[in-house]
Amino acid sequence: MLPSLREDYLEAILLYTSRHLTPPSYHDVVIALRLPEPDVSAHLAELAAAGDLTISGTGAIVLSQTGQETGQRVIKKHETLQCFLTEILGMDSSSASNEACRIEHAVSDETIDRLGNYLRAPPLQEGKPGNHPENAVYHSSCIQNDTDGISLTLADCEEGDRVFVRSISGRSCAKRLLDLGVVPGQPVSIKRKLSNRSLVVQVKACDVALSPEIASAIFVEHR
Amino acid sequence: MKIALLGNPGVGKSLIFNQLTGLGVEVNKYPGSTVTLECGNVCYKKEKIELIDLPGVYSLDGNSEEEVLVRRFLEKKGADIIIAVLDATKLERNLYLLAQVAEYSQPMIALVNRIDDAESEGLVIDTGRLAEIIGIDVLPTAASLGKNIDRILPLALSSARQPVLFIPYDHHVEAATRTLEKTMGTPRYKNLLALQEEGDELALRDAASSIAAEIKQRHRMSVSQIIATNRHNFARTVAEEVVKKSPEKRQFDLDRVLTRAFPGIPLLCLILFSLLLAVFVIGSAMEAFIVQTFTAYIINPFMTLTISPLFQRLGFSVLVALEAGLGIAFPFVFTFYVGLSILEDTGYMTRAAFLADRAMHRIGLHGEALIPMVIGFGCTVPAVLSLRILKTRREQTIAAFLITMVPCSARTVVIAGIVAAFVGIFWAFSIYLIVFILIILTAVVLSRMTPGDQFGMIVEMSPLKMPRARFVLQKSWLRIKEFLFIAMPLLIATSIVLGLFQYFGMIDAFQQAVAPITVSLLGLPAYASTALLFGIFRKELAFETLAVLAGTADLGVVMTSVQLYTFALVSVLFIPCISTIAVLYRQMGAKITFLASLYTVLLGMMIGVLINILMK
Repeated sequence: MLPSLREDYLEAILLYTSRHLTPPSYHDVVIALRLPEPDVSAHLAELAAAGDLTISGTGAIVLSQTGQETGQRVIKKHETLQCFLTEILGMDSSSASNEACRIEHAVSDETIDRLGNYLRAPPLQEGKPGNHPENAVYHSSCIQNDTDGISLTLADCEEGDRVFVRSISGRSCAKRLLDLGVVPGQPVSIKRKLSNRSLVVQVKACDVALSPEIASAIFVEHR
Repeated sequence: MKIALLGNPGVGKSLIFNQLTGLGVEVNKYPGSTVTLECGNVCYKKEKIELIDLPGVYSLDGNSEEEVLVRRFLEKKGADIIIAVLDATKLERNLYLLAQVAEYSQPMIALVNRIDDAESEGLVIDTGRLAEIIGIDVLPTAASLGKNIDRILPLALSSARQPVLFIPYDHHVEAATRTLEKTMGTPRYKNLLALQEEGDELALRDAASSIAAEIKQRHRMSVSQIIATNRHNFARTVAEEVVKKSPEKRQFDLDRVLTRAFPGIPLLCLILFSLLLAVFVIGSAMEAFIVQTFTAYIINPFMTLTISPLFQRLGFSVLVALEAGLGIAFPFVFTFYVGLSILEDTGYMTRAAFLADRAMHRIGLHGEALIPMVIGFGCTVPAVLSLRILKTRREQTIAAFLITMVPCSARTVVIAGIVAAFVGIFWAFSIYLIVFILIILTAVVLSRMTPGDQFGMIVEMSPLKMPRARFVLQKSWLRIKEFLFIAMPLLIATSIVLGLFQYFGMIDAFQQAVAPITVSLLGLPAYASTALLFGIFRKELAFETLAVLAGTADLGVVMTSVQLYTFALVSVLFIPCISTIAVLYRQMGAKITFLASLYTVLLGMMIGVLINILMK
């Protein structure tokens, strides 16, 4: 049995289960996959033998742990690819879905992860900092204007706060800050803040004094 | 054999350097740069080793003068062996630089310095494991205790080798360096540099720029940011592997007092004021002693010799210059440098910069600009040279004007010798007050007029520690040496030229030409103009010339208090000295130098006229 065929089965069964909240029967699978009945029964027996699923006495097809994991991965790939093909490349959704069905079997997990990150990040031209802290390292732009209300800068933080760098705006000062360790994802604690918003922050065990205008160019977040 | 020390600022590099070389240090200007390189020779097993102390840098990829210098030094293989000095208390941040240096694949060893401080902070560093990871020998040292210093050179000479580091860069960056390597045939470190829009090879930068733009588009962050993040991540992984941190001992943090607005700012004012007062008091006393001794035992005997008048004039000029130089160098400049070195070595200077940030913003500068200004109280020349720590042209321009107005040691001599001695100590302080007010007014106007962007302060706070007398004196000695070797020859040369002018009667012609200004506008005796002219060469010469021309050292007899006060104020403000003009020209260009000189002349005259009118 081809790996791609196995993945198609597991995907279809998992999709059915999550949509109908009950496991599919033999007939439901036949309909979902649009394959000849005898083939389906042979394939299902093969999958059961491989430990991907079990067929209960009532004929319900239940995925095993491994079967479920594989199925989930395929669905994620399919969704990510379809999203990319429609949203970014502008394909219509049915041909995108067909295309995704074919690519999903060959594409690596890493590609899908990166594609997913890419899609989740806001478009460059809108100039917003990345909204996904876990992806901050890859998704914040270095040149941006503070346009959205939610962005918190280092200058807004209070003495004793511990925050994480999201991004740095402005070009000229960025290099020195980068060298001192102020990079996206880096924890920073505020050791001193004066009334004019000059700060002493601790980065990588070093104390660094910053002027207010520098501090307000560093976007941060609480975690 | 050449060995270079390389590391972050403040890791104790210079201390190690001084301990290895002793005091036999020459300070070299690197071609095409105002950054100085310290070189010294050491003899080890009958081999002459030249040690080079590279300026402290945070990175090799930036465009500051220091970074460019260190980068070129490595590119040209300026040394046979590199000793990378790391700070044990900040190992992670220091490994970031090491990761970059390693890419130049030159034989090296690493020192983990300040190991004693790390221990007292509860950090245990597995230097053996670090050596395994980075592929070079690692030696723990404690420069302030002298620990393991004697093992540095033997280790460097016996086992320096190329590091083996693998920094996992983002795969797009890796692909880009490979592409550039293939198409341009350039090594990896150059390609990484070119991708960050740095480096000297324009063709490579051209080729890299389009790839860099693509990477930027894809990652939504600049290549510099990606590379820096990768390196920091690498440094963190290594640091996590080799540094074990035991629970922190709770210590009283002096910064709780020092960096708070209160009592930090009053304390800052107090410290700076005491420094100036100490220089003023100690300097005046020592200077009087030096000048008296020198006059009694050298100049007077010389004048009794029977030689031709021309040679007598020349000899006298040289001796007067020597006297003036010694009279200012040790009493004032050295005292000031000791104070400055203490402020620096305790780590207080960076706190001062932080506290001053707010006030400096009002005058278009930021905290870091405090440092050149404070240095300016000692001597304007190193203050102008230190202007490069400011990052924009605008800040440098404003600060350059202000520095030329800050009363340096030589001007302190004038104030102390004329006003404090003959008019009164409070009047002497009023001169400082007037100068400070003028500096602030100038700054406020300049900050409105000077084009360019405002740029803030990013300063690493150096750790607070007790200064050690030996290191403070060593540092002050190095600085005063610079002063003696730059200023003294200039002083002697100008003194000779002026002596000749006087001998051939050219001074009198000048005196008569400007007499209307001196006499009617400033209300000073005609010969005061000559004294002011001498002040261009060195400020304190104004005072000494005045005494010579007046025919008596007791100036109170020949001039009124108002005249003395006016003279002192005008010569303090009047045009920067010739050494300052020279470095200002090199650092800032002809236009700023001309404007600053013109401004101070006009300001000096204006204030002089004003005082003359008001007090008459």
